[in-house]
Amino acid sequence: MGLSELLGTYGDKYLQGLLATWSMTVVSFVFVMALAVVVTVARVSPYRPLRVAGDLYVQVFRNIPGVALLIIIAYALPELRIVLDWRTCVIVTTILLGSAFGSENFMSGINTIGVGQIEAARSLGLTFTQIIRKIVVPQALRTTVLPMTNLLIAVMLTTALGSQVPLNPQELTGVVSYVNTRATGGILVFLVSALCYVGTGFVISFVGNRIDRRVRILR
Amino acid sequence: MSQEHAGEKNVPVIELRHVDKHYGDLHVLRDVSLSVARGEVVVIIGPSGSGKSTLCRTINRLETIDSGEILIEGEPLPQEGRELARMRSELGMVFQQFNLFAHMSVLDNVTLGPREVLGQQKEEAERYALELLGRVGVAEQAHKVPAQLSGGQQQRAAIARSLAMRPKAMLFDEPTSALDPEMINEVLDVMVELARGGMTMIVVTHEMGFARRVADRVVFMADGQIVEEGVPDAFFDHPKSQRARDFLDSIKGH
Repeated sequence: MGLSELLGTYGDKYLQGLLATWSMTVVSFVFVMALAVVVTVARVSPYRPLRVAGDLYVQVFRNIPGVALLIIIAYALPELRIVLDWRTCVIVTTILLGSAFGSENFMSGINTIGVGQIEAARSLGLTFTQIIRKIVVPQALRTTVLPMTNLLIAVMLTTALGSQVPLNPQELTGVVSYVNTRATGGILVFLVSALCYVGTGFVISFVGNRIDRRVRILR
Repeated sequence: MSQEHAGEKNVPVIELRHVDKHYGDLHVLRDVSLSVARGEVVVIIGPSGSGKSTLCRTINRLETIDSGEILIEGEPLPQEGRELARMRSELGMVFQQFNLFAHMSVLDNVTLGPREVLGQQKEEAERYALELLGRVGVAEQAHKVPAQLSGGQQQRAAIARSLAMRPKAMLFDEPTSALDPEMINEVLDVMVELARGGMTMIVVTHEMGFARRVADRVVFMADGQIVEEGVPDAFFDHPKSQRARDFLDSIKGH
């Protein structure tokens, strides 16, 4: 089966797959960032139990293989009467994994903020919440654009876990399995999906670089 | 309460009573007592490691103390939380490394405290901020970020940031030690102006010329203790303690 025949027959399927990958990526990443901020604030808070909980969260979800976590969420949680639809299972898995890495990015961003700035803010009379909101988060966000760009690409690739559960519509990797069970397209079937991933990743890193250059903090 | 205290002439703005502090085995502050009256300029000098910076930092509780008392206008320094934040907002602090907020313009650095802590409107805060930046001579830099300023300009902007809170007293922790020599005077000039304007100040510094010219009182510290204190001329010309004589000789050598 040649490229034109492959796209002629399964073009719609690939397009749906691309859109499904994109939408899961966007939804996941929004929650990844939000949760990463929350976890990171817990990790730098003055309350030890919160710090410990935040560190524990990162250690747990940074060290679980995505497939294992997906299996737990898709097949073990129903034992606890928590039943999520397949797409939500994939997204939740991606969010849990991604936010752990996102928090690590933020922590390294926070470490670039000198302790002196925090002391200056404290001596102006700012409260912990104000310091987080006005000093720490803005600087952490602006110094972590490039690692977060990497994370966005990683989140997109993680949504390929969707190929392990029956999604409708399927995402890019699921489409490969679908086509391969119906036709003998060989390497070409993978290649089309791979190009979609690579193309999207290229656009993400291009935009990420532009944003980084605009918001980077002079030191 | 604080308003009533402010009216009383005899209550010191800052008072330390028998303050002790350890870093592990190191006894950094030993039974330090110090009282600073309204409008008084106290300069703290001493060899490095004598505890003078630590002393300065305990006054707004950037460093905690093991025992003793610190009173601001007669009220004990709160332990933490909102009360401590409010008390800190009433004391200006200037650091060796300037510590301007790197992601904000100079103007935003100066208006942050008034807007967030004092609840001022943007226009009001900016008007006063520009006036202060003008007074310290960096009005032209208001819309630049700190990294675009020289060290001396950054330190003057940092002083304006503290003044914007209309503090009861200003604490200076080696404000010129990180500056290139040619920038030291521009910062000291601002501090001289402040002192002449009646600001209550505690200044930790190695600038003996400044101490002699501006200080109402010089406090000499060594090994975590106040060894000697007095008016500048008496202290510099006729130090009473051997430690102070040795210290003054060691810096006069060059």
